[in-house]
Amino acid sequence: MTSNQFYSRSYICFTKYIQMAKEYLGEFEELVLTMVGILSEDAYGNAIVTEIRERIGREVNLSAVHITLYRLEDKGHVKSHMGGATKSRGGRRKRIYTITNAGLAMLRAMKDARVDLWKLIPQLKIVGI
Amino acid sequence: MKKERILRFLEWFCPPPLYEGIEGDLLEQFEIDSKQVGEKRASKRLFLGVLKFFRPEIILRNRFTLQLINTIMMGNYFKVATRNIQKRKLYSFINAFGLSIGIAFCILIFLFIQDEKSFDQFHTNGKRIYRIEETSYNYWNPAIEEKDRYNRSAYVQVPLKQALKDELPEVEYATRFNPEGSGIVKYGNKVFTETISYADGDFFKMFSFKLLSGNADKLFENKLEVVITPVIAEKYFGTDDPIGKTLLIDDEGEKSYTVAGVIEAPPANSSIDFSILLPQENRSGYEKQLERWGNFSTPTFVQLAPNTDITKFSLNLDKVIQKFMGDKLSEWRKEGNVPENIKMLEYGYTALPDWHLNNKIEWHKVSNPQYSYILGGIAILILLIASINYISLALTTSAARRTEVGIRKVVGAVKNQLIYQFGLESIILALISMFVGVTLVILFLPAFNEYTQKGIAVTLSNGIQIVGVGVLLAFVVGALAGCYPALFLSGFRPAVVLKGRFTTKVQAGFTRPLVIMQFALSAFLIISSIIMYKQMRFITTKDLGYNQHQILIIPTQTGWQKEGNKVVEQFRTRLLQEQDILSVAGTNMSFNRGWSRYGYKINGEHKSAFVYSVDPDYISTLNMEVVMGRNFDSSILSDSNAVVVNEALVKDMKWDDPLNSYLNYREDSTSHGAKVIGVVKDYHFRSLEAKIDPLFLCMDFKHSGALTTMMVKMNSEGLPKTMEKIGKAWKEMYPDKPYDYTFLDEDVAKQYKSYERWMSIMGLSTGFAILISCLGLFGLAGINAVNRTKEIGIRKVMGAELFNIFVLLNKQYVWLALIAFVLAAPASWYSMNLWLADFEFKIAIGWQLFVGSMLVGLSIALLTVSYHAIKTAFVNPAETLKYE
Repeated sequence: MTSNQFYSRSYICFTKYIQMAKEYLGEFEELVLTMVGILSEDAYGNAIVTEIRERIGREVNLSAVHITLYRLEDKGHVKSHMGGATKSRGGRRKRIYTITNAGLAMLRAMKDARVDLWKLIPQLKIVGI
Repeated sequence: MKKERILRFLEWFCPPPLYEGIEGDLLEQFEIDSKQVGEKRASKRLFLGVLKFFRPEIILRNRFTLQLINTIMMGNYFKVATRNIQKRKLYSFINAFGLSIGIAFCILIFLFIQDEKSFDQFHTNGKRIYRIEETSYNYWNPAIEEKDRYNRSAYVQVPLKQALKDELPEVEYATRFNPEGSGIVKYGNKVFTETISYADGDFFKMFSFKLLSGNADKLFENKLEVVITPVIAEKYFGTDDPIGKTLLIDDEGEKSYTVAGVIEAPPANSSIDFSILLPQENRSGYEKQLERWGNFSTPTFVQLAPNTDITKFSLNLDKVIQKFMGDKLSEWRKEGNVPENIKMLEYGYTALPDWHLNNKIEWHKVSNPQYSYILGGIAILILLIASINYISLALTTSAARRTEVGIRKVVGAVKNQLIYQFGLESIILALISMFVGVTLVILFLPAFNEYTQKGIAVTLSNGIQIVGVGVLLAFVVGALAGCYPALFLSGFRPAVVLKGRFTTKVQAGFTRPLVIMQFALSAFLIISSIIMYKQMRFITTKDLGYNQHQILIIPTQTGWQKEGNKVVEQFRTRLLQEQDILSVAGTNMSFNRGWSRYGYKINGEHKSAFVYSVDPDYISTLNMEVVMGRNFDSSILSDSNAVVVNEALVKDMKWDDPLNSYLNYREDSTSHGAKVIGVVKDYHFRSLEAKIDPLFLCMDFKHSGALTTMMVKMNSEGLPKTMEKIGKAWKEMYPDKPYDYTFLDEDVAKQYKSYERWMSIMGLSTGFAILISCLGLFGLAGINAVNRTKEIGIRKVMGAELFNIFVLLNKQYVWLALIAFVLAAPASWYSMNLWLADFEFKIAIGWQLFVGSMLVGLSIALLTVSYHAIKTAFVNPAETLKYE
């Protein structure tokens, strides 16, 4: 390995770190965050899984959703509290997630950025088949 | 798979703050699933779902603080534990006592095994020092079976040392070492008999005994130098500097030696022992021995150069044999008609660190590695018994503690906490026992050293080890013994316990096998000890064929010189003037002081016989029975060439008329040999481990050795006074010779010293084992009696007699003891048969013995349990029944 390669690699890591810390969410994180926003007061693990399935027809793992939620909470995009006990779920309470202002701002920033980028694509007309 | 178990798995790895949310989500899904696809598949999905959570993102969210013990409750556990120990003083005592004895035993045995292993490990070059050993083929004695024909010993030829040094370049140093010579040492008016060891100059370069003064390179260049230990230096010279002083040493002729060095005394765990070292050249007949390659008399050690190929060395040893003994060996081979494929002589070797436990070769202080195993086994047995006691006691006292468990559970203790609690309690008790145990070790170490003939001392380093072993044992035993009761106790259901069913009995069913087991162990030890004791008593009281009592053995202090005969004669004349001295006999060797044996050929047949040179008073002094012919008579001149033989020799020679036979033991071709003038009844001139071999007595002092020892037979009355007289007479007549004496019966008993030692160790262990298992039984019986208090109250009200109650309570223990004995009897029968195989003369193991030991064990058991039985039987029923 030459020293050149070494430097370039560490450079990549560095930029990625900046982006992640500031204004970057993974695709799945963005999806889960959006769902938390949609479900507002009723966002918890299972509800999100169902919501994703119903809205965009995608099967996701409960564990993946949980992990993403914890990560979003670490980053400050969502916050959580324990809901009231219910009869189902073996009497266990739900952990309800709500989106924070920072999370909402993040979603909006990402949407804006994407819309901006979308506009830059030459608008193609689809000629009828 | 069960839902609960899956969730427990989740709980195990999931961080607690997240747990409820995750579990809830999973359960919700599970409920949906079980409606849609049925419970079974839902469970499967649940399991998969949980598995998917088993990933680093979740697991790493755990805060890894090791919480092995719940620190908050610790204080409470301690408090409750001490209260419990105080409340049940008797049971706590039983447990702590049993455990501390077990621990003390284990530590002592640990020290023993450590000492065995530490033997000779302190020599810097130890791994390069080898003892040369010979394996020779016995070609001349036809009576020996083929497999016994190889004789292995550490005694080799005197000239071998120089030959090895000259011939083999890999031999760096070599020394001969004869440890057990004896001589009279004189300095000024101090005269003592001392043990003298003979070595070569290289001795001081090879071994790591510290030379306190003197030059190791120069020592023994002068043949008249002596090296002594500080104890000897102080004994003779007091505080003066011993170097350069002259000691007169008489070992076969008096010579004066200059003290050239002081050497540190060897420690107790050294196979090489000495106090006075003289150069080998001073051994009597040394010059002659240098020519004799057929005479195996001297241990020889070599130190090989570093990185010597040991297989090459052993090949080289064969070459040395060929060079120096080739001719002689082929001559012997011809004589004995030994086939070519049998090696007549072979040298082997053992590295210094391995000497002590190599019991195939006889050596002073050699030990059987088996002893370590046996002792280790006993230690584990005793520890096991103590642990079993703990378990059964803890379980049976559990009745009293179930309320505590119930309340703890109601207040919120989880099972793990209870397990910790009870585990902790047992460890606390074990630690207390450990302290008592270590104290016991320190108290009993001197006695233990005496039993085992060791010199173990508690030093700082092994003190730390002792405490370390103690703590380790305490934790192991505490955890092991506490583990089961902890599980048992923590399993109580609070609802059942607290509802108030106090009268339910403790299920003691499975503690019974435990009690049987320990009783069987004790029974095994009881039977074994009784057999050992009976055998030892048989040996010590068996009629040896001669009278061994009230006989004083006095060495003439003349070495092997003919002068000894004169001393015997003079001293006899002097002593017979005293009225309480019955007779004085002379011999060349007293019993258990060595023996000599002639090998000879008669009519082409190889024979051998033991020989003692004696004087005419010998047979009468020892009260031997002459069955044929007569004793020696000093007035008949020809008796100096006559022999008295024992019956075994007559049988061996197949003589029909022994009194008209001749024993040509010197293979004299010009005459018939020695005339047989008498036959004595067989007597045990060796230990009872050996059978009575052919033997003859003669007055041939020239060939069979001069008289060296006097046997003085005294009247049994006024013994101390008589002995005083003898001592005074000796000092009068031989002021320059030390007066050493022993008693014949003590000498004879010494042959069995190692057995006696083992018997006392065995007896001690038996005592302790019985004590501990009795303590256990005592506790168990007590709790059982308490359990049945109400039953007995009712029975008494209904009219039961005291005796009936007594029988009722004790019946089961009799059964337990009986079963234990049935288990133990065959095991002890087997192992005792192995032990008895060492003896040529032994007791028979009869059924009476087993019955006897069984009765002993049974009565011990009954005595133990009776206390409680009687106590319970005497309780006023009103007391026990008033709460109903």
